[in-house]
Amino acid sequence: MDNLDKIKPLAEKIAASLIKDETPIDLEEFDTLTEDDKKRILFGVTNKNKREERLQLKNKLNKQKAWEKITGNKKQSYFRQKPFNYFTIAASIVILLGITFLLNKNNELQIDTITIAEKNIEIGTDKAILTLEDASEVRLEKGQAYQSNNATSNGEKIIYLPIEQAGHTEIGIKEIAYNIITVPRGGQFKIELSDGTKISLNSETQLKYPVAFNDGKTRQVELVYGEAYFDVSSSTNHKGAKFKVFNQSQEIEVLGTEFNIKAYKDETNIYTTLVEGKVAISTIDKNQILIPNQQSNLNLETNNINITTNINTYKEVSWKDGKYSFRKKTLKDIMKTLSRWYDMEVRFENKEVEDKTYMGSFNRNSPIEDVLLSFKRSNLLNGYHIKDKTLTIN
Amino acid sequence: MDQSKEYELTLKEYENFFNRRYKSLCLFANEYVNDLDDSEDIVQNVFIKVWEDKVSFKSKDKIESFFYTAVKNKSLDFLRSKYVKNVNTYPLEDLEALQTENYNLPEAVILETSDIIERELKALPSKAAKAIRLSIENYKNKEIAEEMNISIHTVKSYKKESYQKLRKTLSFLRIV
Repeated sequence: MDNLDKIKPLAEKIAASLIKDETPIDLEEFDTLTEDDKKRILFGVTNKNKREERLQLKNKLNKQKAWEKITGNKKQSYFRQKPFNYFTIAASIVILLGITFLLNKNNELQIDTITIAEKNIEIGTDKAILTLEDASEVRLEKGQAYQSNNATSNGEKIIYLPIEQAGHTEIGIKEIAYNIITVPRGGQFKIELSDGTKISLNSETQLKYPVAFNDGKTRQVELVYGEAYFDVSSSTNHKGAKFKVFNQSQEIEVLGTEFNIKAYKDETNIYTTLVEGKVAISTIDKNQILIPNQQSNLNLETNNINITTNINTYKEVSWKDGKYSFRKKTLKDIMKTLSRWYDMEVRFENKEVEDKTYMGSFNRNSPIEDVLLSFKRSNLLNGYHIKDKTLTIN
Repeated sequence: MDQSKEYELTLKEYENFFNRRYKSLCLFANEYVNDLDDSEDIVQNVFIKVWEDKVSFKSKDKIESFFYTAVKNKSLDFLRSKYVKNVNTYPLEDLEALQTENYNLPEAVILETSDIIERELKALPSKAAKAIRLSIENYKNKEIAEEMNISIHTVKSYKKESYQKLRKTLSFLRIV
């Protein structure tokens, strides 16, 4: 029998033959197994003690908890909406999961250049700084509640009350106040605007937004810098009012949709990825419509817009669900992304590895050492060294 | 059924598959790593991976094999990293034995087979289920009758009844 290739058909036949009180040993499929294996299987299935042992172990497992972990525990909306779709060759995952090993077996079994002097690189957390209209600042972080007359926060997310609940009068909101939320490196935060639009903010991101919107008027926010995922409350709920996201170099107009914008200060491109709905992007001299699964890439130097179709949007936006997925990204790019979340400096002592590509994913709550170990297993790097907040890659 | 088409799991099917196999897969991982918590982590990571990468399968029959193979690889992966961390606690020879291709194949077959049997038994009236369970544990009809305090004739009719039920659930038997 090849590998574990025919488990199901074999198991079904053995089960049927046992229930029917036949002798499974006569099964044709059984011929490919060794005598020892046959005996071991029959004993394992028919022995009462073995069965009870399994039952005992199984009773110690918590399936519900596991399912919550797998689906990301938090908001399962993405999970619910997207039908579990197609593709990729089954083998590729096996390669991802295991075979990297076999290739690196020799490396793997030596203890080498991993040295951790001090553990100063920490996993990012929920935190942000809220700048109010009078320029005063409020620190928001996990475990700290905040409440004002128009917003509440539990330390993971800030929610602005809808106009009717916030005590604004029609006159009072003629001059709408703007607040600014700044997520530092090593942070993430969520915000729900007064129109119900939900925005996830990645590390090193700043967003400027009004505390309330005038019904029927275009809703406008500014992504000053960084990365944000927008789930825009539909125009139909706001007397047709459009929603616009401004940025230093582009403007996005939407009706009601989900999309991701990545516009970091230290990058020369702005990426806009559309998950659902439709958006229009305008730059100083160009207009571009995006449809789902497309990504636009605005080069800030040339001012050109490139469109990539059939993007795996999940990979692009998985950060908001607490994961990082990399698909053929260079180690250099990956480190740039990781440096924001772990708030670390990355130095390449060995320039050769910068352009090595990697495919795989991590939970954002993994310690940096675990991530680096996977890289090492995939032969992406030979070793590393951490001191203070600097990661040096050899 | 169209054999040439790749089989795609819907979210519901993925969840069903999880519900049905999660525990068996954990026990399978446990055969390698000998720690239930670690086993759970391994299996959960495999499920996450399959979801994220939207893996499709050559046929419905291949799904189990795929998961068992992935769990096996992940478990070996885990052991190797453990070996790296604690040289002394993990003899290299053990690791090599585990890596041998079909080392734990019988275990996967045992887990799957008993899972099918348990499901079949659950679908039967409890007395019939008891009779079949004893029969699987190698009791003769006469011994079952004595154990359960029923006639041999009743034992036989329980068996017949459950075999007919089985025909309906295990599709391949219909072809025969």
